[in-house]
Amino acid sequence: MKKVILYISLSLGVFFSSCDSLIDVQPRQSIDTATAFTSEEAVQAAILGVYDRLQGLRVYGRDLIALPEALSDNGRATNKSGRLNPEYLNQPGAHFADGLWQGAYYAINQINLILENLPTVPRMAQATKDVVEGEALFMRALFYFNLTRAYAYDPGAIVAPSNKGSVPLILKGVTGLDQVELSARASIDDVYAQIYKDLDGAIAKLPARTAVNRVNKVSAQAIYSRVALYRRDYAAVVKNANDALNGGVGSFLSNAAYVGGFRSAINPESIFELEYQTPENTGVNESLQTSFTTLLTSGNRATTGGFGDLVPTNDLLAQFETGDVRRNLYELGTAGRGAAEIECTKFLGKNGQPNLDNVPVIRVSEVILNRAEALAMQGNAAAALTDLNRIRTRAGLAESTASGTALLEEILKQRRVELAFEGHRWFDLKRLGRDIVKAAPAQTIPFTDFKILARLPIREIQINSNLQQNSGY
Amino acid sequence: MKQLLRYCFVLCSLAFAGVAVAQDRTVSGKVSSSEDGSGLPGVSVVIKGTSVGTATDANGTYKLSVPANATKLVFSFVGFLTKEVDVGGLSALNVSLDPDTKMLSEVVVTGYGSQNKKEITGAVSSVKGDVIENLPMQSFDRALQGRAAGVLVQAANGVPGGQVRIRIRGTGSITAGNEPLYIVDGVQINNSSNADFVSSNPLGFLNPNDIESIEILKDAATASIYGAQAANGVVLVTTKKGKAGKTNFNLNYYYGSTSPVKYMNVLNSQDWIKVRTEAIRNQNPALSEAQARTSALTGIRLDGGLSDAQIAALPTYDWQRAAYKQGGVQNIELSANGGSDKTTFYISGSYNKQDANVINVDFERATLRMSVNHKVSNKLSFEQSINLSTISQKGTFGSPNGGSFLGSPYFASPLIIPTNPIYNEDGTYFGTPQAGGISGVLNQNILLTAETNTIRNVTNQAVGNFKLIWSIAEGLTFNSFFGLDYRVIKGEYYADPRTADGFAVRGRLTNENEQSMNFTTNHTLNYNKTFARDHKIGTILGVEYRNDVRESWNQQVTSFATPQFRTANGGATPQSASGFWTGYKRAGVFGRVNYDFKGRYLLTATLRYDGSSRFGANQKFGFFPGVSAGWVISEENFIKDKVSWLDEIKLRASYGATGNDQIGDFDSRGLTGGGFNYIGQAGIAPNQLSNPNLSWEKNVTTDIGIDLGFFNRRITATVDYFDRQSKQLLLNQPVAWTSGYGDITANVGQMYNRGWEFGINTTNLTIGDFTWKTNFNISLLENKVTKLVGSDTVLASNTSVRVGHPIGAVYTAEYAGVNPATGRPMWYDINGNPTYTPRNPTDFRVLGSSFATRFGGLTNTFAYKGLELLIFFQAEYGRKVANGQSSFLSENGGRLFNTLQEVYDRRWTTAGQLTDVPRPINGNAEVRGNGATGGSRFFEDASYIRLKQLSLSYNLPNKLISRAKLASVRVYAQATNLLTFTKWSGYDPEFLDTGAGNNGVVPQSRTYNFGINIGF
Repeated sequence: MKKVILYISLSLGVFFSSCDSLIDVQPRQSIDTATAFTSEEAVQAAILGVYDRLQGLRVYGRDLIALPEALSDNGRATNKSGRLNPEYLNQPGAHFADGLWQGAYYAINQINLILENLPTVPRMAQATKDVVEGEALFMRALFYFNLTRAYAYDPGAIVAPSNKGSVPLILKGVTGLDQVELSARASIDDVYAQIYKDLDGAIAKLPARTAVNRVNKVSAQAIYSRVALYRRDYAAVVKNANDALNGGVGSFLSNAAYVGGFRSAINPESIFELEYQTPENTGVNESLQTSFTTLLTSGNRATTGGFGDLVPTNDLLAQFETGDVRRNLYELGTAGRGAAEIECTKFLGKNGQPNLDNVPVIRVSEVILNRAEALAMQGNAAAALTDLNRIRTRAGLAESTASGTALLEEILKQRRVELAFEGHRWFDLKRLGRDIVKAAPAQTIPFTDFKILARLPIREIQINSNLQQNSGY
Repeated sequence: MKQLLRYCFVLCSLAFAGVAVAQDRTVSGKVSSSEDGSGLPGVSVVIKGTSVGTATDANGTYKLSVPANATKLVFSFVGFLTKEVDVGGLSALNVSLDPDTKMLSEVVVTGYGSQNKKEITGAVSSVKGDVIENLPMQSFDRALQGRAAGVLVQAANGVPGGQVRIRIRGTGSITAGNEPLYIVDGVQINNSSNADFVSSNPLGFLNPNDIESIEILKDAATASIYGAQAANGVVLVTTKKGKAGKTNFNLNYYYGSTSPVKYMNVLNSQDWIKVRTEAIRNQNPALSEAQARTSALTGIRLDGGLSDAQIAALPTYDWQRAAYKQGGVQNIELSANGGSDKTTFYISGSYNKQDANVINVDFERATLRMSVNHKVSNKLSFEQSINLSTISQKGTFGSPNGGSFLGSPYFASPLIIPTNPIYNEDGTYFGTPQAGGISGVLNQNILLTAETNTIRNVTNQAVGNFKLIWSIAEGLTFNSFFGLDYRVIKGEYYADPRTADGFAVRGRLTNENEQSMNFTTNHTLNYNKTFARDHKIGTILGVEYRNDVRESWNQQVTSFATPQFRTANGGATPQSASGFWTGYKRAGVFGRVNYDFKGRYLLTATLRYDGSSRFGANQKFGFFPGVSAGWVISEENFIKDKVSWLDEIKLRASYGATGNDQIGDFDSRGLTGGGFNYIGQAGIAPNQLSNPNLSWEKNVTTDIGIDLGFFNRRITATVDYFDRQSKQLLLNQPVAWTSGYGDITANVGQMYNRGWEFGINTTNLTIGDFTWKTNFNISLLENKVTKLVGSDTVLASNTSVRVGHPIGAVYTAEYAGVNPATGRPMWYDINGNPTYTPRNPTDFRVLGSSFATRFGGLTNTFAYKGLELLIFFQAEYGRKVANGQSSFLSENGGRLFNTLQEVYDRRWTTAGQLTDVPRPINGNAEVRGNGATGGSRFFEDASYIRLKQLSLSYNLPNKLISRAKLASVRVYAQATNLLTFTKWSGYDPEFLDTGAGNNGVVPQSRTYNFGINIGF
């Protein structure tokens, strides 16, 4: 009897002491973040997870491409689905949405975690680690660059009384509540310094591969040329543009091949573009195709596809000189959703399905234009003119002989025409400190207007008392 | 001393004489119940002072060989007073036993054991199996409605075997689960319902007629033995077990019909065209009457130029009477029980089929239950039972799952424009997708959809348990228990190519398959002893472990050649395939001590140390204590046997803490998930912030109660007051996105439930063979949310959760009726002035709550000899909810929906008219006015009183049936949901909002059934 009680007590004791392991259950659809990035496979999958964030509708999926057109003087909303109309009218708050902030910081956290865990991943070749590190650094630079140009002024084009700095600079990964920091906005300079640092690191680590759906050394150099242009660091623009253009990624298309480049799944001009596959179709409501055109195929006005919510302004169409091959990317849409309009057909479901298009992040012509502008700003008119005329003659236009301010204006005009409906115009006007001149019913937005900057997500202001909202909101 | 010797001698000689003249004789007779004269089977008949005896057979007769010197026979039977009868020289001895009205021996099942009801110090409600027997309800939870104080039972809908919600002592959680812990014969049942297409009830696996009793542990002190799972109360179900003796069979059959409780009185074609014309003209006064009418006619695809006479001749089609129908109810079961003193068994098989009152919704179940108890030796015995069940349920589009409510027959049938025919003249369906559907917003032919789609759910379940009982020594036993609840759910949804949903994709088939396995084991050591006669101690010490795993996969395929192809291999285009796995584990150690002094002073202390894999690393384990005490005043010397009319006064008090761990299995973890894919390769990303401090929600309940019994227990009553404080409620607390995450689940909320519970049983009349008994219970509740995230006064994700108000607050602008001058709807603004445009949230106020503050049940039973009439009313009060369907039905031609006749009749038409129904307006919103159906206008009082059960039964007299060698025959007729008294304007006030309010909800049916119950 005593023995029995002893045994039972003993077994109870064993049960009691082993309780912790007894109730251990590990999730299977998800894994514990604390141990998630400890193998080569996991780290490789994690970097793909960062690319996935870039694809979001509020990031490159739509907003970073369509909003710079709607907010600026390039796009006019047709109100066929009602989308992009508030942005076109520059209504307060109709701007880069909270999702950009959210998506970017989610991605930045992923990147920070990858970078922190990478050095200790076992049995992973250093060369492979370098590639992942390079991609991660590139991505962090790209996300911070997009954040700062959406929410903050750009170097050299600042309305001082309204300047609240750039965005919080988060460089440490978070897995638990105790690690959450409520950071204030960093200065514009600090953020650009960090972007430079990350891009320098990326260029050092990234390989010279040629696939354009993943970043490589040339992508980093190309983006560097754009970032440097925003920072008015013209020497860096020229250096990186030279490197990028000599890197052998992306080709400068001929006049004959130009339109065809926009009709093929991957534009041969691309240095880095986001690939979209069937399950990633952004759908009939907000895809770039439905945003820009009602057409399903070029020339077929009988079948209506999307809404065609944003079409070129008359002002944009007037920039095309006679014979410009690029004008062939604009044609009359269908009347299926209301009055037919001239629409941009750069996105036409090129991946074989309606609403399924790759999104260009940077392509060769932009790098040439980046360099042309930098050279012109440096006073190197001859070299600038060479670059400008490469663009002009390829488009089927006569060579320009402009100089001085006229040269710069011509470069900016070609930049506008070349990169229209690819997400540049708003940012270009903003970094140059220019007013956004719009025709009725929209109104001209002076550069001093508070709507030049996007509104920080209200919830972030409420949660983080260190965070200052942009003026006017 | 001499005398003593003499006695000895006499005794010895008597004994010898006894041996010498020992001449056994046979005594036989019948033991019957004094209540109804029926024979009592299994009554122990023992010769007094010996262990010689027998038991009565199924008819209550016995035969016993009795030595000549025997003086008395002792007749004893559970639930009856033991009787000693002088045997004298009789050879025939019929005995009538009186029921033990004091019920002093009534045993109540409590956590990991049972207790004499007399010794209970917590708040435990008990419902006997016979109370819920043979009701046309597929799960016992539904049958509990109105039977126990403090237990609110609300059916989600009238789908047979559909979802039911039980709330014990109010709502204690905002975002975590509110379901009680269900334990069937010791097996903790996984009661999460994961059927996607059909409303299904995880408790439907058990045939309610196999239930012996249901005990509900309501107070925290009693429930705390179940620790982190007991916050919402515990429901203990005990099934029927075998009794030693002759094998008894019981055949049970009932048959009946279900029918709709109500039809809506909607407009005919002519009135609808008229009101639509008005609505169009009111919106655009520039139109002439004729122009507006043309517009109304062409809107529903009629010729705009129809003349008055042609309009008058238009037929009206009644979609309600086409969609609702009378259905059948059928139940058949056979059980057998019996055994020897070593082994007893109970086996039962049942088949149950019930239709809803709408086309193509039904429930079909077969169960097999077997339980065997066996005594290996005096020291060792085991108990085992297994329940197998298969359930097949059909559902229709949107009823309530499997598609939007717009296509649900119950939602759509009164709303479809009445000019639409149902069938073409050749009998085929009118309005096929090829033909462009039917006219109006609801443009599917709902009958076509319901008849051609396949929406089905099959649940196969096995629940089994095994228990080893080892009597180590006097008073000391060791129990080892193992339980398994295994379930496979198969879901199938075939959107037929002939329906609107399947037409474009040529048919869509979705298959789901889910398996869940739930294993429980516990081991307890029980020790009971009485010291020095007056000190009775009962202790229990135990450990428990539970492992619950759920796994599922699903697929979707489209493009079928013809509608005859209805399996995945017939589809050409696979659309998706997916799966998931989840699971949790719990482990706990617990102990309980009961102390009873002279039956007067009772004390119980409970402690459980519980751990759950769901909680954060720092909070995996916690203590759940409970203490309760009772004072049986009636056992005090100054009352006992002095006040004859007073049988019992017991004061009880208890205080305890319980936990609620019904949260996501991995809510506390920092998680990195898949699906963040790029270039066709799997990508991952962190998607949940870890919270190592995530802990259970905590309930601390104080309970004070009194149990009373008077006049030989002709009146018994139980009154309880409770105060249930729910703390550490889990809410989503937002974190800055800059951290890489959106929110975190944290223990921050607080809420309380307080209330009174009354239960009264009376025997009102006993005149000869006639008795009238009443059973009444009522609960009065108050609920209030007291704290949310930080200093928030409203929950960001749900504006009906507001600090200072009951959960489910109705937060909107109050409807102020119609401006008599203009016919426009108005609402009160913040200052109480009428406005056309109330603002959100400035003019919004809390106008009630969906929390029911009062509920109860009243049963009256009239018995005369074998005849019994039972009338059971059940009621719920204080619930205010949106009547979505009435809102649609009150648009008066604002959109292309039909309208209620009485709303049409009351509509504003002329200046100065006082009414609450605004003038018809196309689009339902006046210029610079809010939507006419907004605000509080369609929040209605869903209180109701329902004649839930009316049954008349007759036990055939023994004389009659014994000739046919039957033990008992009972026939009965029964009606459920016969009458409902309510202000609710929809089909049925009893429903749960599972996302679309009452839209598309299949209401309760009225059922009639006739049955027979034969024992042999």
